[in-house]
Amino acid sequence: MSTSVQNAPGSGTAAAPGAPVGELVFALIIVSIGVVGFVAGAGIQTPPSASDIGPRAFPFAVSALLVVVGAGLVLQVLRGHRGAADEGEDVDLEAKTDWLTVGKLSGFVLLHAFLIVPLGWPVAAALLFFGAAWSLGARPWWRNLMTAIILALVLQFVFGGLLGVSLPPGFLEGFGVFGG
Amino acid sequence: MSSVDNFFLLMEGFATAMQPMYLLYALGGVLVGTAVGVLPGIGPAMTVALLMPITYSLEPTAAIIVFAGIYYGGMYGGSTTSILLNTPGESSSIVTALEGNKMAKAGRGAAALATAAVGSFVAGTIATVLLSFVAPYVAAFAVQIGPVEYVALMVVAFLTVGALLGSSVLRGLASLGLGLFIALVGFDALTAQQRYTFGSPFLADGIDVVLVAVALFAVGEALYVGSRLRHGPIKIIPVTGGWTSWLRKEDLRRSWKPWLRGTAIGFPVGTIPAGGADVATFLSYASERKLAKGKNKKEFGKGAIEGVAGPEAANNAAAAGVLVPLLTLGIPTTATAAMMLVAFQRYQIPVGPQLFESNSTLVWALIASLYVGNLMLLVLNLPLVGIWVKILQIPRPYLYSGILVFAVLGAFSVNFTPIDVIILLIVGILGFFMRRYGYPIAPMVVGLILGPIFESQLRRSLAISQGDPVALVQSPVAATIYVVLLVIFALSMLLKRRQRQFEAMVAANADAPDVVRGSATAPETAVAPVTRASDTREDTDR
Repeated sequence: MSTSVQNAPGSGTAAAPGAPVGELVFALIIVSIGVVGFVAGAGIQTPPSASDIGPRAFPFAVSALLVVVGAGLVLQVLRGHRGAADEGEDVDLEAKTDWLTVGKLSGFVLLHAFLIVPLGWPVAAALLFFGAAWSLGARPWWRNLMTAIILALVLQFVFGGLLGVSLPPGFLEGFGVFGG
Repeated sequence: MSSVDNFFLLMEGFATAMQPMYLLYALGGVLVGTAVGVLPGIGPAMTVALLMPITYSLEPTAAIIVFAGIYYGGMYGGSTTSILLNTPGESSSIVTALEGNKMAKAGRGAAALATAAVGSFVAGTIATVLLSFVAPYVAAFAVQIGPVEYVALMVVAFLTVGALLGSSVLRGLASLGLGLFIALVGFDALTAQQRYTFGSPFLADGIDVVLVAVALFAVGEALYVGSRLRHGPIKIIPVTGGWTSWLRKEDLRRSWKPWLRGTAIGFPVGTIPAGGADVATFLSYASERKLAKGKNKKEFGKGAIEGVAGPEAANNAAAAGVLVPLLTLGIPTTATAAMMLVAFQRYQIPVGPQLFESNSTLVWALIASLYVGNLMLLVLNLPLVGIWVKILQIPRPYLYSGILVFAVLGAFSVNFTPIDVIILLIVGILGFFMRRYGYPIAPMVVGLILGPIFESQLRRSLAISQGDPVALVQSPVAATIYVVLLVIFALSMLLKRRQRQFEAMVAANADAPDVVRGSATAPETAVAPVTRASDTREDTDR
């Protein structure tokens, strides 16, 4: 799972722990987005009447920027220059990346996307909060659940009811204060 | 336009902003702004992005006043966190944390908070006065410039934001390029040709700016913090004594000059896109350290009040300075300014040199609300600091789960389709990897928002010159702008190098036992911080 623990020979990173496989892949992705930009950009239709440089020139310029900068980054990473991971008050830079938590959080967001329409926004949002809080280590479960339900109802009331954002109210359909 | 006219327009702005309804909106904005400024992991840019749905129901003046309040409030709240929270913050607040945190540990936290709050007020007010008088003149000049000069100005914004924000030039430019690329997806505005839609009807309308911004800020941040969440109790340094006794005569005597110097440094640095508030706070700190004499000089590194007063003032003055290019040219130089530009776009208000003429009531109400908001913030921050400290104690799993819920709310309300929530997740995962590998987020957001405006101006310039690119540098004004760009770059590179040396020095000092952070989770890490400091700080590529 963890790309930072695997070892790639010849990367020349003496100071940094682990080999920068993930970082290298990310830089290569930037290059490939640029390449895709060129290939797909060639397919952009240019109307013959265009009086200016047309709709293709700027996409090509952006693609070129991505290819050049991405290639530069690949070189840098290979030569051992690593990016400094983002700092923050709640970030423990000494901790190993916890891929399981990232996976759980992403999974709950995905689940939420599929539940909004069948169950309504409040239920889907409460489930997302409950799942995310559990993934991040909040206990006990009943307090998480209570917080999730209250938050979902308050948000549905404020945004759906007061501000008129059309969030599907689900089972709250018919209660005017929750919008719909 | 004379300055007397501007004065009357400002008074009219006050007449609007002082209406009870708008005062309430301003209060709501600064309250939310302070709260998100205090909370780690969530900042004003993310908040404005998350609250973009309010543009559906509020009228423009109200929404812009709320967002401006959030913007100013965020600047105030940040200092509370860096002074009282016993963990390292982001690099933009590291300067305040440097002296402020030491002061708090020595039992002088109240004085640090007070000098930060009053300094922010003094600087914010002076800088807002400067904004009120400088901006109309810049706007009057800006309406005369053509697309070629506009292109030059945007090149300056792109390169400075891309290359100077963050620690790595290449990573900043890559982030900018990704933003420009996503902005290309959809119909070309001039020829109505589909670009990078890959035949998908969902991509034909383009990817919504708010969606991408919320994904990068909120989902990316939640995933990233989730991957490395600091466990254990949240350690907050307690503040003692009533707030009236916080700023003693001696403190005031040592603070007022740094406040004024910080303002003088912060406002111009904010106006030119030379790396944002980060550079301003650093410059202010370095100059205070240099100017200090005798006993006070020895206090630097151990909790000198000048080292809090100056940078905090510079920070707030820079925030007002950023509004000059935003309101007069339509060029955002920070992520928050970029999100405010989006708010204007949501209301179909054309942002650019003509804004001061076409929407004069709105602009002056906004500026007047900044004066009002500043005063509210001073009142909110001095006596009510206890409330903000409570907010700081919110359990982190709930904080980041809440951020996710707000993010999906914002995403869903863009088009009311769950597909946007899935796009949110995909871009959020991209944001996670960007944070992990040290790519700054702000250039991507600025590229995303300025990209389409830049392209249309570029094509307009080239249509006028019949495709001759030399025309882009031939105008004297544009040529001057490019020369200034080179000067800004040279200066910034010099500054950056000094800042890095300085941060390396700070990192070396931070190895002293009294600043070992994260010892709550792992008691055996007595030597670990030494290796960590050298790993994370020295390995930034230069």
